[in-house]
Amino acid sequence: MPERIATVVPEDGLHARPGATFVETAAESDADVQVGHTGGDLVNAASILAVTGLGVEHGDEVRVVAEGEGAEATLDELERILTTPEDGR
Amino acid sequence: MPRRLSGVGATRATGTGTAVWYESEPELGDPLAADAVDPDAETERFESARDAARGAIRAERERAAEQLDDGEAAVFDAHVQFLQDPQLAEAVGARIESGLPAEHAVDRAFAEFVERFEGTGGRTAERADDLRDVRDRLLRELVGGDRGDLADLPAGSVVLAERLTPSDTARLDPDRVAGFATVTGGRTAHAAIFARSLGLPAVVGVGEGLHDVAAGTEVVVDGTEGEVVVDPDAATREAAVGDERVDIRTAPVTTAEGTPIEVAANVGRRADLAAAADHGADGVGLFRTEFLFLDRASPPDEDEQYEAYREALATFPDGRVVVRTLDVGGDKPVEYLDPADDENPFLGERGIRRSLGPDADVFETQLRALLRAAATDAGGRLSVMLPLVTTVEEVVAAREAMESVAAALDAAGEAYAIPEFGVMIETPAAALLADPLVDHVDFVSVGTNDLAQYVMAAARGNRRVADLADPRQPGVLRAIRRAVAATEGTDVWAGVCGEMAGDPEMTPLLVGLGVDELSVAPAAVPRVKRAVSEVRDDAARDLAERALAAETREEVVAVLDGTVS
Repeated sequence: MPERIATVVPEDGLHARPGATFVETAAESDADVQVGHTGGDLVNAASILAVTGLGVEHGDEVRVVAEGEGAEATLDELERILTTPEDGR
Repeated sequence: MPRRLSGVGATRATGTGTAVWYESEPELGDPLAADAVDPDAETERFESARDAARGAIRAERERAAEQLDDGEAAVFDAHVQFLQDPQLAEAVGARIESGLPAEHAVDRAFAEFVERFEGTGGRTAERADDLRDVRDRLLRELVGGDRGDLADLPAGSVVLAERLTPSDTARLDPDRVAGFATVTGGRTAHAAIFARSLGLPAVVGVGEGLHDVAAGTEVVVDGTEGEVVVDPDAATREAAVGDERVDIRTAPVTTAEGTPIEVAANVGRRADLAAAADHGADGVGLFRTEFLFLDRASPPDEDEQYEAYREALATFPDGRVVVRTLDVGGDKPVEYLDPADDENPFLGERGIRRSLGPDADVFETQLRALLRAAATDAGGRLSVMLPLVTTVEEVVAAREAMESVAAALDAAGEAYAIPEFGVMIETPAAALLADPLVDHVDFVSVGTNDLAQYVMAAARGNRRVADLADPRQPGVLRAIRRAVAATEGTDVWAGVCGEMAGDPEMTPLLVGLGVDELSVAPAAVPRVKRAVSEVRDDAARDLAERALAAETREEVVAVLDGTVS
């Protein structure tokens, strides 16, 4: 199954805007996407309740796994969100 | 006899009024016996409540956007997202199937999510109030009940509550409500953040003692001291009256003693210009020209840049616009500029080094556009700022480049003017060399993010060294002070344009350090202006002196928190 491992760059971690964008992107994808801390449990990436519950902070290492149509493209986009600072600098 | 209850001050403002207790949680009644519940009907009730709640949240967001800044109003977008979450529908559905009516299913499903969030701690725990907010909305749709006229309180009310959700707080009318105090909550919860935006006196986290304050009692909410004073005496009341709230979007602000402090905005994309003007910025303190160069195949030509600078100047006809020359390299590579293959890009060829080296032609084009923009109607307030300066030679060379561009424009008969000229102080060398640098410039602006990173040899993005890359480190504070001190007794002004400038908690310290200008994210302008207006010059100087004398970050933090004197 395709996956990505990334260190979270946005100051807000997966809270506030980066969290919302991450979940929206996963929800809009046809692929089934899961996310979690590396070495921890994976949760539904399309659920803001589940993703917020992970408590992913800036600097954490996370693993994203996707299966199904467009999995690679979805992972690329999610990885971009995880590695782009919020203010675009 | 006045009684004092202490909590956490959320706003540096004080209000006096009559206590009104606010009960936010709707009454649920008893769950019916399991066999009396029709799961299909209850599922339908839940779904229609969800649709209605979604509409209500969107309407709330529209209303809130008028009073709060965009980032804060976006809290309500998150609420819509919570409401539509697949796991929520699943959790509520399972409870309905087990025989609970919709309102109890919602209540219990949320209780579990709230528990999970609070158990995770940190920023996740802070979102628990958002969950409660969404839950209360759903419950109000399901069982009726309103918010006890929160939006329609008698003038001069002080709202007391167990807790206030974000939407509760956003409903408070600052013209009618004198302040609020809550049993639970912390400084970084939305209720406290909204209170700061609304300029509403607030004390949170007072604890159970707040329950002893009866409705109808006269109370003072002192957000500066973090105190609720019950039955205040004449002296306390009088002290509170002198603490008038300030309109946040007025023109330039001064400290309480009248020292003018410019509050400008950082602009990192075109849309920031309008946002900066909307939020009442005095001007632009950091125009990051990188955005003109990113996401394209070739650099913008002179005319395109000229238009961009002219537009920024026209947006602030009376305000200063500080344009930083191209700062690429490091973490900001631009492919077509043939980035250098540096082993450590942060210590490699970036900022002014590229402008005086491989990107000299790009620099020349940029200077031509800037000097032409300086000759437009509002151009007299243009300032040009050099990034990542470490030597006097760089400043001299950049000044010569500007003069030769001026000579070329003159020869070509083009209109131009020489703008104000300054440097960023974001390297230890620049801070240590501030005295000689000041002889060559009209202003300096301290970039606290990079300065902290370079002074402390600690990357900002690395959580393991986050305590080091902190502007409250004594090493960083002393570097900032050294740069600012070099401008004292000269015509050179000193600004700060890092994240530190946008934190209202830091405002008294920065003013005390002698800073003349703060450049912050557009949305932070109102709160920083408000913080400036509350600064007492003597107290700020004293605070800065004590912070500079501190030997550890912990001591600096304690000085800033007011826990040591």
